[in-house]
Amino acid sequence: MSFLGYARPDGSVGIRNHVLVLPWGFLSSKICDLVDGTKTFLTPDYGGGRTSRDRETIARTLIGLGRNPNVASVIVQSLYPSAGYPELTPVRIAEEIARSGKRVELIDAVEEGSTLRTLEKGVQVAREMVLEASRIRREPLEMSHLALGVKCGHSDTTSGIAGNPVIGNLFDRIVEAGGTAFFGETTEIIGAEHVLAKRGRNEEVSRRILEVAAETETIAKATGEDIRTVNPVPSNIAGGISSLEEKSLGAILKSGSAPIRGVLTYGERPKGKGLYFVDNWMSMVSIFAGYAAAGAQLVIFQLGGGGLSGHDLLHTSTAGVAPLMWTTANPKTLDMAPTTIDFYSGTVIEGEDTIEEAGEKLLRVILDIASGTMTKVETIRHTDPAQIYLRDPCF
Amino acid sequence: MASRGALRFSEDDNVATLLENLASGDEVQVRLGKETRTVQATEDIPFGFKIALTDIVKGARIVKYGEPIGIASQDIRQGGMVHIHNLEGARGRGDLTKGAIR
Repeated sequence: MSFLGYARPDGSVGIRNHVLVLPWGFLSSKICDLVDGTKTFLTPDYGGGRTSRDRETIARTLIGLGRNPNVASVIVQSLYPSAGYPELTPVRIAEEIARSGKRVELIDAVEEGSTLRTLEKGVQVAREMVLEASRIRREPLEMSHLALGVKCGHSDTTSGIAGNPVIGNLFDRIVEAGGTAFFGETTEIIGAEHVLAKRGRNEEVSRRILEVAAETETIAKATGEDIRTVNPVPSNIAGGISSLEEKSLGAILKSGSAPIRGVLTYGERPKGKGLYFVDNWMSMVSIFAGYAAAGAQLVIFQLGGGGLSGHDLLHTSTAGVAPLMWTTANPKTLDMAPTTIDFYSGTVIEGEDTIEEAGEKLLRVILDIASGTMTKVETIRHTDPAQIYLRDPCF
Repeated sequence: MASRGALRFSEDDNVATLLENLASGDEVQVRLGKETRTVQATEDIPFGFKIALTDIVKGARIVKYGEPIGIASQDIRQGGMVHIHNLEGARGRGDLTKGAIR
């Protein structure tokens, strides 16, 4: 099966065609206000007072977003408080993105002499890049180029029965076709890590799965808190989930049944294709940007929602360059948020579809979105700032 | 809502997940593949919540998806609701170790 995508110089394929302006700040914001077809990546994490491990994670995220196949070309601007750390210099960020073969321009406030003169330069370069990008045409390309990332959230018992298993079936289809799929949320494999570990491609992968779960559990215990006051979150409990173990056993169903090829850190690009576990944090303000930095062109929020009070949830993508689609298996959630939900898998609970049938329908929707159809929340021009998943204290 | 019954996922499960709202005294068909059995609710239990399929004594494992999801913090009668009032998760619990890392 194929979809209509944008072929990039490094062999990857975009499902969108943005010009990206990095890092976030005054210049990037103003360039994006003025020039259509541009995006920036909003985050307050700029590296000041952070350990080298966390600074490298910030750099990996920015570089990864620049290299994401949905990006045609990139402007890196220097008017940004990178605090002079070597990991985060604009030159390094620009050079590493340029290795993908796409056009990258560095605009330097010192060279231009003032912020507003730099803005003028940035606007002109962005306009040029958007014009160039607009000349690239979509073409039919194999599904094996797709990379998807998923998070399940506000999970309730419909998530474990239908919502996550249907995503799992989709993932099996993507991986079978030679594509890439990311899942993660390490806290939410605790209690199910022994089940996942059996699916490691080799002993090393199985060992890493058990290791990251144990690390996270150790950190959780060190707080001295009952984890049920943290996770499952109150909306999970209101939706019928009673313990972290129950949540985890339902959550891992979204990974399908393929062997797990590797365990990645936040924003890390996989070396090959297939199914990957990402050691990340479940929050939607964080997880999607990490998937996009790893190369995902589309991110999915599989919503339970049974424990939420009614509102339409117009939460847009925090992944910067990868659109967000929403799925649910809960009929009440669909009624509550029809202008947000792109796909409904509650037909499995209602006996109208098997998990396989719903998975096939979902794949068709994904290929349509990959070919250019917007997701429902993609029509909203607003993005909340993202939080890069940093592991160490700040000083 | 048509009667959709309840689901269990493994022979080992001692709870089932409701696909309909139950009032106290209602009987529900619990499905596992083609096999069904009937359980009577001893209290009101809403859609998406769990019903005990057998009596579960305090301290016993509660099993769903064929895996333990916690232990009973009190005796639970067949047909009763199983949730945080009578099920305790055991993982990631710093309060159980009083802050000490095991």
